[in-house]
Amino acid sequence: MTELVQVENLGRAFDALWAVNGVSFSVERGELLGLIGPNGAGKSTLYNLLAGALAPTRGEIVFDGQRVTGWKPYHMARVGMARTFQIPKPYRRLSVVENVMLASFQRHRSVRSARVFAEEILADVGLSDHVTAPVTTLTVGLLKRLEVARALALEPKLVLFDEIMAGLTPTEVAAMTGFVSTLPARGITVIWVEHVLHAIMKTATRVMVLDRGQLIANDAPKAVARDAAVIKAYFGEEISLA
Amino acid sequence: MAQSPGRISLAPARGTLSVFEIALLVLCLVLVVAPIPQNLQDIIVLTFLWAGLATAWNIAGGYTGLISFGHAAFFGIGAYTSTILLVRMNVTPWVGIWCGGLLAAFCGAILAVICVRLRGPFFILSTLAAAEVIRIAALNWSSLTGGPEGLAISPAADPVNMVFASKHAYLALMLGYLLLSYALTKLIDGSRYGYYLFAARDDEDAASAAGVNPLAVRTVALMLSAALTGIGGSLFAQYFLYLDPTFVISPEVSFQFALLPAVGGLGTAIGPVLGSFLITPMSELLRSYLGSKVAGLHLAIYSALLIVVVLYFPSGIAGALSGLSRRKGGKS
Repeated sequence: MTELVQVENLGRAFDALWAVNGVSFSVERGELLGLIGPNGAGKSTLYNLLAGALAPTRGEIVFDGQRVTGWKPYHMARVGMARTFQIPKPYRRLSVVENVMLASFQRHRSVRSARVFAEEILADVGLSDHVTAPVTTLTVGLLKRLEVARALALEPKLVLFDEIMAGLTPTEVAAMTGFVSTLPARGITVIWVEHVLHAIMKTATRVMVLDRGQLIANDAPKAVARDAAVIKAYFGEEISLA
Repeated sequence: MAQSPGRISLAPARGTLSVFEIALLVLCLVLVVAPIPQNLQDIIVLTFLWAGLATAWNIAGGYTGLISFGHAAFFGIGAYTSTILLVRMNVTPWVGIWCGGLLAAFCGAILAVICVRLRGPFFILSTLAAAEVIRIAALNWSSLTGGPEGLAISPAADPVNMVFASKHAYLALMLGYLLLSYALTKLIDGSRYGYYLFAARDDEDAASAAGVNPLAVRTVALMLSAALTGIGGSLFAQYFLYLDPTFVISPEVSFQFALLPAVGGLGTAIGPVLGSFLITPMSELLRSYLGSKVAGLHLAIYSALLIVVVLYFPSGIAGALSGLSRRKGGKS
């Protein structure tokens, strides 16, 4: 069995509005799957459904061979689904390493070994210089890296990245893109929401496009870039360049 | 190793003892055995007891962010449980205090089921209301609690009844209670579970995403805090040998629980202890020296001092001291 995630007819309504509607897809182990779409397309809602932060109105989610529909976020984290938050949510009264330790406790039960592992992860994402710093001293770019570190410290099977590039400099974008592309080889399947499209198009093995709550494309990056429906969703009906 | 803010550098790392803490412990032990005038011993007994109570409150309020203005309920439940067991059923308080702690923990669990989803002011108000419910129940359930007349414990000195002639015994008892509260706090402080409390306090969504169930963590923290508070309530009753609902379950008592850690430093082990060591003697001395001369003057001065602390030391005495030692010594 190679499929890590199977989503079947997933939908979530907020009153009369379906933020996600009839979405079905599956993710193979080792994939690096891009998820793109215009603002308000339902990407964040889809993430919240997968991670258990929202209960679906209908549909099914199977993760790692288990039906996990309606599970709580902490259950999902325990069975190996990690996520980052679009707006970083650090524990603001703890240090950088303590923030990561809270995730590494899932696999490392003693404080000492959780800390050792957290420091390894911090080195991976380039936060070695900030291990004992209070999180309140981190810049936006560093907070994004901390989000990534916390997600990876769970040693997840699947990680959901939510705009980890926003606010980063071009150099940082290049470094982060390179780092993310190494994750599948480490046994971590990735779903990646990003507005920095060239990063996605360069590294993703497959790209899904969400528009108005529905999946309108699901293909290789190059094919998606030429897809008429995708172009329409991003640029509108007609573009006349005089 | 560098310190982060909000961490007191008097305590070098989570879960270890600093020189400052050991010095404080020695001072406390000296105060227990030293030949001091009785009226001062009274103040020290109360200071130890309130330091232990504030430490118990801090597990919920400081570490977990469950700011409770209803801890007088747990205090009262502990006090009434051991006293009723002693007065009505002749059960020794040496057993009764643990029963009081257990019952308080059970009530903490009930409160948690009702309130633990509420945040900020909503949680605070619901705890305040819950304590009033307990107070009114104690006032009206006269057959059990003696109603507004309260309950009195026989003052005849008898170690089996936990009633002593010597103040030294009470000093030792209260210091023992303070050490129990403090040891549990230090245990939490250095442990995985302690980090879960911080996570549930600082960001519920992030805690969940890290595999921590914030509601379960808060419930356990509130139960532990309530249990320790209940034990303290029993000891309070054994010291005063009298209790009535307004004396032990009033909102003023609840405010005191929150006030001492706030002054000393929320979410630090040493904070509530420092808070009690400053505030309890101050309020007792002000009352005894000024209370009889100008009615209300001691309260005015007491309030003015509190305002100064809150305005100029927002992270409490512990925060101010650790800031001072950082400026002087750089990284410790």
